Amino acid sequence: MIYSIIKASEEHAQLIAVLSGMHGISNADFLAVSYDDITAVVCDVPKVGMVTDRSATMDYASVVDSLFKDFTLLPVRFGSVMESDDEIRKMLQKNYKEIKNNLLKVEGKLEFGLKVFCDTLKLQARFEDNSKAEINVAATTVSGQNNSIFKDYVNKKLIEYRIEESLLSYVNSLIQKISDCCTGIKAISKFKKMLSPTNIIDALFLIDKEMTNQLIRLVKDLKTRYPDLNFILTGPWPPYNFVDITIS
Amino acid sequence: MNENVIDRSRDITILEVLDRVLNKGVILTGDIVISVADVDLVYLGVKLMLSSVETMEQLKSGKH
Repeated sequence: MIYSIIKASEEHAQLIAVLSGMHGISNADFLAVSYDDITAVVCDVPKVGMVTDRSATMDYASVVDSLFKDFTLLPVRFGSVMESDDEIRKMLQKNYKEIKNNLLKVEGKLEFGLKVFCDTLKLQARFEDNSKAEINVAATTVSGQNNSIFKDYVNKKLIEYRIEESLLSYVNSLIQKISDCCTGIKAISKFKKMLSPTNIIDALFLIDKEMTNQLIRLVKDLKTRYPDLNFILTGPWPPYNFVDITIS
Repeated sequence: MNENVIDRSRDITILEVLDRVLNKGVILTGDIVISVADVDLVYLGVKLMLSSVETMEQLKSGKH
């Protein structure tokens, strides 16, 4: 099973020292399989009877974390198993350039995650009041129209649409504010919005290690500025979300 | 400063770790990857993530 691809050759003294103190899944020893100056950290796994539960997954992540303390690395998705060391070496050789480019991109950097939660119902209620007021004003300006089931239906749909639109616009403006703040810390960022009715933003940042305190300060400021929102900052993580390689 | 702002609660960490380890990183697909113990990783991912739904519910209300 491949845990990570790191920037080091298998003779690297520090790598040997780090690997000798750890055990992989099913308590197997770690091996380093290298091509040029990149190395896959791997361990043998049994073809049958391997336990792949939550605990194994967490152990896997903690190995990647330990390696990350000493090396620039690309985490490999859990469960990536190749037939032999030779196959792994061939894979490294074939994808060398792409792997090196990704290693270069994440060198000296840390990943952080920022989730923003809010009480969407409360927010929607606020937008609903605004939308209703707007639509009522609009309705009174149209003369000669009688109330009807059709009109009520259209108004209801219009209000729903306006609420949705207002919520999206609020989220977009928040993303813009966070992005603006991030330019100062030179973060590479990724944003996903409206993942659930309450999780309005899921942001990821890749920053230089030295910028960690600035990012923390930035989130602290956001918490103060938006007391109704719940900001959850996690990290530092190995650069799971900033690795862009699919090998097939 | 880190202690106050970075969330280190266990449930959140598990959720974040699972999301990353199962879905992100270098992805090896196709014939070069062999299956181990007939484990379907998609199934494993869904199973593990579903068990973390409760955590998400707590996250949204800030009760963590």
